[in-house]
Amino acid sequence: MENDILQKQMEELALKLNGEYEQSLDIPVLKIKGARISEALLAAKNFNQTPCEILHDVTAVDYPDRNEIEVVYHLSSFTGPYMIRIKATIDRDNPVIDSATKIWAGADFPERECFDLVGVQFSGHPNLKRILLWDDFEGHPLRKDYVVPSIEERKILRAVKPGE
Amino acid sequence: MEVDKEKQQAAEEMVKKNVILTKLEDVLNWGRGWSFWPLSFGLACCAIEFMAAGGPRYDLERFGLGVMRPSPRQADLMIVSGTLTRKMAPAVKRLYDQMAEPKYVLSMGSCANSGGPFTDSYAVMPGVDSIIPVDVYIPGCPPRPEAFFYGILQLKQKVQKPAKVRLAKNGK
Repeated sequence: MENDILQKQMEELALKLNGEYEQSLDIPVLKIKGARISEALLAAKNFNQTPCEILHDVTAVDYPDRNEIEVVYHLSSFTGPYMIRIKATIDRDNPVIDSATKIWAGADFPERECFDLVGVQFSGHPNLKRILLWDDFEGHPLRKDYVVPSIEERKILRAVKPGE
Repeated sequence: MEVDKEKQQAAEEMVKKNVILTKLEDVLNWGRGWSFWPLSFGLACCAIEFMAAGGPRYDLERFGLGVMRPSPRQADLMIVSGTLTRKMAPAVKRLYDQMAEPKYVLSMGSCANSGGPFTDSYAVMPGVDSIIPVDVYIPGCPPRPEAFFYGILQLKQKVQKPAKVRLAKNGK
């Protein structure tokens, strides 16, 4: 019942934002352009009857053949057990997207992780720096073209910055 | 005269039964082997097995190393149990440098030995021996407490009889 309402609202949102709507394993998925992500997240947060006010995670997937990065947001609602997924595609050479920290303060750490591993720049993020890897790490390891350093290089103890 | 000789013989036998002549270094090594002071140092899932070894079922206390020290300055044995990430590596090196001599390192599990399943990862140190010298390697993923105890006993042999290790190393 709630899933039907959610589906309808997602379809309307897809029409409004020039996006695509699809269903993947019973989860409504909305695919949009990266520039309209703030609108989509705000609209999803203010859905009628089933407001999706929980942001579970922010992740990203690298597609080098399409020269795109897909930023994936998982949301769900307190009023129903259903999840929705919003995928925003951004350019791989210039991976900039609006930060969701203004809508959910809790998006801070997932966005930092996303920046750390895939290299997505979240504009408007209050503290965008590496969270899992150390500050001197070069590259973003979850990009498909990342080359792991040789075992001889990795055996060397990394230098520690004063005050780390 | 006769009585004195008998007394002396009896005294000599008492000495043989009660006094051992040895080198100070040997006595110290004997003591070290029986009373390790390990630095509690859990990095990953091997630490869970290490905790099981310390519990009452397997009872680490039997081998004289039940007293986990939270500070490296009070410890002489570092048990590296788990995956060592490259972010963590400088901290491990620093803790090792802070330990007082003589100090020993026991590498527990395949991650600490060689990186284990994460050898090819960008974030994992391929073996703890690339930054600190390791005395005993315990294989397993994770090793059972029995394997851990076998490693401890091997280390005890190594500490108490350093000459034996030297012979084995030089192939004589």
